[in-house]
Amino acid sequence: MDFALTEEQQMFRDMFRSFAQKEIAKVAEHADKTEQVPPELLSKAAEQGMLGALVPDNFGGAALDPISYALLMEEIGRACLSTAVVVACHTSLVTQAVLDFGSDAQKKYWLPMLASGQSIGAFALTEPDAGSDTHSLATRARRTDDGNVLNGVKTWVTNAGIAGVFLVVASSDPRANGRGLSAFLVEKDTPGLKVGQRDLTLGLRGASVHTVYLDNVHVPEANRLGAEGDGQAMVEHVLAHYRLALAAAGLGLGAAAVEAGVKFAAERIQFGGPIANKQAIQNYIADSSAQVEALRYLVYHTAWQAEQGSHLASGAMYAKLFAAQATRFVTDKMVQVHGGYGYIEDYPIARLYRNARSLDLLGGTGELMRVGIAINLFKSQQLEISP
Amino acid sequence: MKIVVAMKQVLDPRGFTVNRKAEKIFVNREEWITNPADLCALEAALALKDKLGAEVVVLSGGPARAGDALRDAWARGADRAIHLSDKAFSTADGCVAARILAKAIDKVGAVDLVVCGDRALDTGAGEVGPRLAEALGWPQVLGALDVSVQDGHAHAVKPDGAGYAELEVGLPALVTLAAGANQPRYPHGGRIMESYRQYQPEAWTAPDLGLSEDELKPLVDQRGQSFPPERQRGTLLDSPEELVRLLKRNRVI
Amino acid sequence: MDFTFAPEYVALRKMFREFAEEEVRPLAKTIDREHRVPHETLKKGAKIGLLGVPFPTKYGGMGAGETGYCIMMEEFGRVCTSTITNIGAHIGIGAMAIYLDGTEAQKNKYLTPLASGEKIAAFALTEPNAGSDAAAIRTRAVREGDSYFLDGSKIYITNGPIADIVSVFAVTDPSLGARGGVTAFIVETNWEGFKVGTLENKMGIRGSSTSELIFDNLRVPQENILGQTGLGFITAMKTLDLGRVSLGAGCLGGAQAALEAAMQWAKARNQFGASIAAKQSIQWMVADIACEIEALRSLVYRTAWMADSGQPFSREAAMCKLYGSEVASRTINKALQIHGSLGYSRDHPIERAWRDARISEIFEGTNEIQRTVIASELFKEIGVRVRS
Repeated sequence: MDFALTEEQQMFRDMFRSFAQKEIAKVAEHADKTEQVPPELLSKAAEQGMLGALVPDNFGGAALDPISYALLMEEIGRACLSTAVVVACHTSLVTQAVLDFGSDAQKKYWLPMLASGQSIGAFALTEPDAGSDTHSLATRARRTDDGNVLNGVKTWVTNAGIAGVFLVVASSDPRANGRGLSAFLVEKDTPGLKVGQRDLTLGLRGASVHTVYLDNVHVPEANRLGAEGDGQAMVEHVLAHYRLALAAAGLGLGAAAVEAGVKFAAERIQFGGPIANKQAIQNYIADSSAQVEALRYLVYHTAWQAEQGSHLASGAMYAKLFAAQATRFVTDKMVQVHGGYGYIEDYPIARLYRNARSLDLLGGTGELMRVGIAINLFKSQQLEISP
Repeated sequence: MKIVVAMKQVLDPRGFTVNRKAEKIFVNREEWITNPADLCALEAALALKDKLGAEVVVLSGGPARAGDALRDAWARGADRAIHLSDKAFSTADGCVAARILAKAIDKVGAVDLVVCGDRALDTGAGEVGPRLAEALGWPQVLGALDVSVQDGHAHAVKPDGAGYAELEVGLPALVTLAAGANQPRYPHGGRIMESYRQYQPEAWTAPDLGLSEDELKPLVDQRGQSFPPERQRGTLLDSPEELVRLLKRNRVI
Repeated sequence: MDFTFAPEYVALRKMFREFAEEEVRPLAKTIDREHRVPHETLKKGAKIGLLGVPFPTKYGGMGAGETGYCIMMEEFGRVCTSTITNIGAHIGIGAMAIYLDGTEAQKNKYLTPLASGEKIAAFALTEPNAGSDAAAIRTRAVREGDSYFLDGSKIYITNGPIADIVSVFAVTDPSLGARGGVTAFIVETNWEGFKVGTLENKMGIRGSSTSELIFDNLRVPQENILGQTGLGFITAMKTLDLGRVSLGAGCLGGAQAALEAAMQWAKARNQFGASIAAKQSIQWMVADIACEIEALRSLVYRTAWMADSGQPFSREAAMCKLYGSEVASRTINKALQIHGSLGYSRDHPIERAWRDARISEIFEGTNEIQRTVIASELFKEIGVRVRS
């Protein structure tokens, strides 16, 4: 087993780290305070090809392999989790859906816009009564002579406030119990599509998350992504990619938190020496570092599996479940290492602590990840379990 | 000036749930509170005490736990709190309760105003107030939102249709207050402590009030309890089109 | 052993709960958003004795002891951590120091207006290089005739911006350090040389105000020495001990409220064809939380009883603070998870509770200090002297 990054991957990592530390890290606090990832930052990232990370180069993308993409997400996450989520949603949910389920015509139309950042993608799946339970989706897609009409309410739509296109998952046949879902690409100014109130959140404050209303939204058949009924499979597919991206971003955040804790412990003098001399502090840092190490190899192994063409769903659930637990543990311990300073927003660790908390909720709760993992494991015993 | 406040305890509705299907009331948490309308009556009396320097005397029947309500009333500012406590009182209906209270008010003596809640949360009957006024032979104002006293008269404000009516009655009089009529004050914490550590409510028995066994026999004999019949609920319609279809189907249009 | 509360405490709790629901809860979200202290609530509470709960009636207090005070902190802690932070700094440590070690004259002069809420107190020990290492404080108090002149600064002082009276700890003899070299002073904030510095931007408890205090040649008359000259550290430790019990009570309230909210949500929230209360993941969280809360409840009220009955309670106080803060954090974190994404929204009280809870593991002596205290007390009993 060769655990080394290729030369090209090392080069990418250095490039990503340099950009992220130079451009993203310096606005992270500001993004949190103003509750917005600065548009100029997204433009710069687009110029670097980051918004088209997975898009083939003939469509204007950077055509990164899965490991390099994970490296990108790690570096962005290290600098700012809000930015990472914006990019991951755009890339792993929306762009990935077009890549893997789009027709040639759709790819030709959408991919260049998404890759260049001209259009940012938002993902509309969740509803007031359909959180973990996507079978309860109530947004309806009804066929008409010239296309489809969508009606419903979507909540927790990431990137809604800055999106040029919404990937909307709707039910064409509510009685089919999850097998009647379809996905549609709906452009921003389509009549009937309204971006409603924003969800102000505990962390990830730079991400724009809104409720979106669909009131008799006419969508041409050409904007259906995949076939009718493909929705469930598409959602599972892109969520797997998103979960891995989030896990990689969490890895970056966790590493940044440990680094901050180590630095603080080395500099903070109490009881006649640095608090790094205290065994309890050493333990917090050692345990946190161990968690980050484990997460690192879980993320990159899963990315490698994706590169090998393996079915990503299972690995991505492990990665995200663990990332949520590890980053929660690490940021909590590192706040404690900082003492009172860990509670003051002038120091980054409080923000990392708030941001990390999202990982057990975003892209599917930890509870949902456990259910998915258990379902897969029991399949090997020919036992079908349900949530 | 002397004011008597009559109060009783009721079960805290936040502690029980009603299961219509099973026709049962489940008491999840048994907690007794002073009837909310009675608390408003006490507050009105205390406001008069603040303004005119009146003496406020609180009366309450009920088992031993009524002591908590009386202490609470004292902690809020009442001058005397008297427990009308006798096993023979336990079967009292509205008529008997009024009789007991009337005798107690006579015993207190020189009372100018009686205030109580207009109805209790548990029975909702609202009969003790009017019966008490009759037993005393005094004028009554029921369901007031406010009561003030001036030149030997009580002035009360109560809802009247879409507006309010102002009534004036000569003292002595009885006024019942509606729940929500005012915002009862909080008892001072120190007074709450004292109400248990130093204070002891007075207690009057049936012999103290000179009530005979006959006078304590209830008028009403309760034979059973049942739930009212279930209300027919309507159907929630999804759209105007569905309404039209329904009307068509039922040949309305 | 009688584990019931005396009826006066039951009645007191009822009043505290009503006040918490009617007066404290409605402002909880606002004060967090607006980053301000609910002065109006504190004034209302003062009128019914809430700002002097544990102090004897002869000083204008409620005479309810540490038990009564813990009950209030628990009831208010259910609803708003910021409010109990304001009250805690005022009663629990600010005024408490004066109650524990003040002379009769000092108590009459200072404790009485504090107990009535006419004045607000704060407790100033922490400095930039003296957090857990409180012995490293540098604020200097130099004697000149019948006065002391204070120079230095304190940080992270709750109620710093709003206090009228502050218990300040300063070095009177640098050569002796914490053992004999620190003295406590009662300082009036309108005196020449007292200044409020930077207001901190905190992650949570934003309805309480925390700031730097700066002393610039601040003259303190010698009759304002609190306790004995040179023995200020003992005053500080004694005071913090009591503060820890009531902090545990506040955490208890917060944890209990989070559990109740999570259960109500689990009951109402339908997914997969039933309420999520049917899911073992949810049930397990609820059961585990409930056990911790029960344990914490017993710990807090037994310790309060020990304090009220004059028994030593330092170790148990540290446990109240340590265990209480960690139970609250764990519980509220689980409760947030039960709420799903809703728990991450600033529109929901559990989000604020999550941010607010975190400070309890840090202030009033970090949990590392609590563990040090507990361990050294335990080892002392078997003849081992351990140092931090």
